[in-house]
Amino acid sequence: MSGIHSGSEILVIVLAGGQGERLYPLTRDRAKPAVPFAGSFRIIDFTLSNCVNSGLRKIYVLTQYKSLSLDRHIMVGWQFLHYDLGEFIQTLPAQQRLGQVWYKGTADAIFQNIYTLEHEKPAWVLILAGDHIYKMDYREMIAAHIKHGADLTVGCVPVKAAQARQLGVAEIAANSQIRAFHEKSPNPPTIPGQPDYCLASMGIYVFNTEILVRRVVEDAKRKTAHDFGRNIIPAMVSSDRVFAFHFRSPAPECNTYWRDVGTIDAYWESNMDILSPNPQLNLYDEHWRVHTYQEQRPPAFFGPGCGETRESFIGSGCVIRGRRIIRSVLSPNVVVEEGAEVEDSIIFEHVTIGRRAKLRKVIVDKNVTIPAGTQIGFDRDKDSSLFTVTDGGVTVVPKDTIL
Amino acid sequence: MIKVLVVEDDPHQRVLFSEELVAAGYEVITATNGKEAVERLGKETPSIVVLDLRMPVMDGLDALGRILAQRNDLPVIIHTAYGSYRDNFQSWSADAFVTKSSDLSELKSTLRRILVERGILKETEKA
Repeated sequence: MSGIHSGSEILVIVLAGGQGERLYPLTRDRAKPAVPFAGSFRIIDFTLSNCVNSGLRKIYVLTQYKSLSLDRHIMVGWQFLHYDLGEFIQTLPAQQRLGQVWYKGTADAIFQNIYTLEHEKPAWVLILAGDHIYKMDYREMIAAHIKHGADLTVGCVPVKAAQARQLGVAEIAANSQIRAFHEKSPNPPTIPGQPDYCLASMGIYVFNTEILVRRVVEDAKRKTAHDFGRNIIPAMVSSDRVFAFHFRSPAPECNTYWRDVGTIDAYWESNMDILSPNPQLNLYDEHWRVHTYQEQRPPAFFGPGCGETRESFIGSGCVIRGRRIIRSVLSPNVVVEEGAEVEDSIIFEHVTIGRRAKLRKVIVDKNVTIPAGTQIGFDRDKDSSLFTVTDGGVTVVPKDTIL
Repeated sequence: MIKVLVVEDDPHQRVLFSEELVAAGYEVITATNGKEAVERLGKETPSIVVLDLRMPVMDGLDALGRILAQRNDLPVIIHTAYGSYRDNFQSWSADAFVTKSSDLSELKSTLRRILVERGILKETEKA
């Protein structure tokens, strides 16, 4: 690739400190990037796999809230790189080098880690979010950054205008230079010729390191939200060379598949997308594997009484005796007892679904036993009195619930 | 009168810088290392800081971050004999970088420039 000698000139910083409030109660006890996804994975596995598959192996994961589960996952699942070769994936909690202050925003998280940038002195810094589901070869974005002689390149993807109100939206010139940037605007500008779509920022950035340092230092001295989308990028658009990079995937079938699983409904839908017969994001693609950590467990067992199971992920260690499992994700160590029915649902680890229980469009978090005969997902009023039920009709049974 | 916090561990230099800045019309308070400087900011409100880098107890780079965490609007001039720190990203949080010399005219002109830029001093005004 032109201009890059090796991935070692690029430092990756994954921002994994957000609270993920809109994913509550799944984020009650864990950071959003540590929320399980598609049975075997955690959300952050997608970003980290993209890095490793892109040959980028100097990775800091910036953590802050409820990081125990995330730390442990990275410690046990992502320690296969070799530090002697300059490769690492390391979590970096708020160091409080500047006093007893937490990260005030995404830009402040970088400002507070200037020491780390000084220590590594990379030519470029790739800043990523730890909570998106997609496959991407970041080398293409870095090559475009170098080709444009850019100071900053923002990864962008077309999204529907309604969805773009929650995101940053770029207006670009024919050469992809960003002319204006609108963060969470109620009326985001649409793509010329595509009135239903906006060019949204994916919250991923390639910076020339020196520019990054100068801009976060300037921002630190102002009264701002210290946020890349709200403060740094809009200011840089007029003073620096800021370009958009149009997201494309190494796997052609998922060229437009990028999801910010920021809400329970978006999270549920993204899991269901991956279960579809021709998924846009294929987990069985050997050319772009998604890595994770899994405990050693025996294969899933389907007992003599089990009925129909289809369009579902069944994790290792599961014991299935139930009547029907359709379009569902079962994490490892789930037991489905005789006569139980599970449909359009996502079941986390260590869950037992009792005899003749029926679940429809339910997310059951860890360590829950659904008693025999229980029905969830059939009576919205009743479910709402006990659990979180979303606008999209997804019921969430929180971790450790005793029913 | 504009108050300058001079952070300098060498006692002779501390006296020299203070006297020159007082002669130039500033009020000067001093600290002998970064930790003391951060502590002084809890009690006093200088308009600008002149910060040495190599100091015992807490060095200037470490102090710089803590100073800005306390008062992010406070201008800081790094004043060091070690020009190589110009390349250190941590030093870029300062408003200016002046290499030490027995002639303090660069320090004084930089002080004045930053104070004017920040609107603390008017162009025509004396310190």
